[in-house]
Amino acid sequence: MDWKEVANGLWIWICGGITSGLGLYMAYYFYKRAISFMHNSGVPKEETRSMVRGAVITAIGPVLSNIFIMIALAVAISPGLAFQREGVGVGSVFTELVQASNAAIAAGEKFGDPSFTIKGFAAAVFIMNIAGWGWAVEAIFTRYLGKAREKLTGGDPKLLAVIAACSMVAVFSYYSVSNAIKGNGFLVAVVVSLLSSMFLFKLADWMKRPHFKEWALGIAMFVGMIAGKLYAG
Amino acid sequence: MATVREWHIDPVAFERDYLKPIHRVGTITSTLIFLALFLPSIWLYFITGVFPDWQTILTGFGLAMTYAIPFYISEPIAYYPIVGNAGWYLCGTIGNGSNLRVPCAAVAQEVAGVKEGTMEGELVAAVGVTVSVFVSVPAIFFGALLINQIQQFFPAWLMDAFNRFLLPAVFGSVWGQFILRGWKYAPFAFVLALVPILYKVHSAWALVICVLGTMVVGWAMLRFLKIEA
Repeated sequence: MDWKEVANGLWIWICGGITSGLGLYMAYYFYKRAISFMHNSGVPKEETRSMVRGAVITAIGPVLSNIFIMIALAVAISPGLAFQREGVGVGSVFTELVQASNAAIAAGEKFGDPSFTIKGFAAAVFIMNIAGWGWAVEAIFTRYLGKAREKLTGGDPKLLAVIAACSMVAVFSYYSVSNAIKGNGFLVAVVVSLLSSMFLFKLADWMKRPHFKEWALGIAMFVGMIAGKLYAG
Repeated sequence: MATVREWHIDPVAFERDYLKPIHRVGTITSTLIFLALFLPSIWLYFITGVFPDWQTILTGFGLAMTYAIPFYISEPIAYYPIVGNAGWYLCGTIGNGSNLRVPCAAVAQEVAGVKEGTMEGELVAAVGVTVSVFVSVPAIFFGALLINQIQQFFPAWLMDAFNRFLLPAVFGSVWGQFILRGWKYAPFAFVLALVPILYKVHSAWALVICVLGTMVVGWAMLRFLKIEA
């Protein structure tokens, strides 16, 4: 049997639908819990709507990017498997392609080669899925992360705030620097989006229009992306 | 951040009415998602009769783990303090932490004017992360379904811009936001990011060095200089 005959079958869309459904259910439950707790604690509905708007606007760019990048995975394997892995998949498209190649090597085949068989495909499906087991297991034991943090900080709210603030700055320092160091359009994209974001958030404060912050990240990332593309050509 | 808001949250109610049910549903659903990872291979076996042999599984798994294990260590250290409990359940199972979940959590916190690492920050991050899931999962589904139409509809230069430059732009813009919030840590974080990269340390370990190093600096500033976040 040719692997392409089964690669985009209904079975893989159903598998993707099951994991996506579970992910959406979990997100919906958390959302309802958080929102109702905030409203019961006296947070006005307008404020929670504003948070939602900000998150939706911020999500648009990265989600579009995910879809465009997913095309590579869909073309290389199948749209169904791309959905199953990316809908509620842990890996990035790049990671998925690396894992598919690893699986093919393990099966004694070459991914993307005309000689790639159903055996290689079965190995790719298995390895791509279990490669993310660690994150799923970590999620299962999330409650212990909180306990570990409490133990490390002794529950000191000042230290907890320091740890969160340091983590935020450090994570994105690392990702930004590792991209900027590639130079050319990457450096331009990082620097322009960085400056745009700082300017827009400050502008919202100066203008005393906090709702403007909902748009700040979304606008800054588009400006940075276009600047990078224009510079690199 | 212009003004830091503090709501009147009862810690006992937070634990009882929010955290406890979150952990219950999060643990069960994450376990189901973990089990669902095996479903495609089992289903494929019933259709085709083909299942990878143990040799292939072990070799492929070994190759996959050399790439993944460092990130299993670095990502919870880096993301959990920002996204909190609900956010980490979703980052762990649905992924896309750095490019999507954390930015959405951060912007929601900024809009609400709450501090990360607090109960308020945890609740608002949950809203930001869950909303990003509501946007991303259906969008990915329709994106996969309409892949040919998408390729025809969007000009090639725009898709190239997204493919190559959106990710650095996401990182740069979130970095800018966080520099405004934690400017006192930014120079240290920059140096701690740059040095491991220059020495070509594996990316996941470089991230650990940067995050833990900055946390140690923050702890020292609080402990010895009384500088708060």
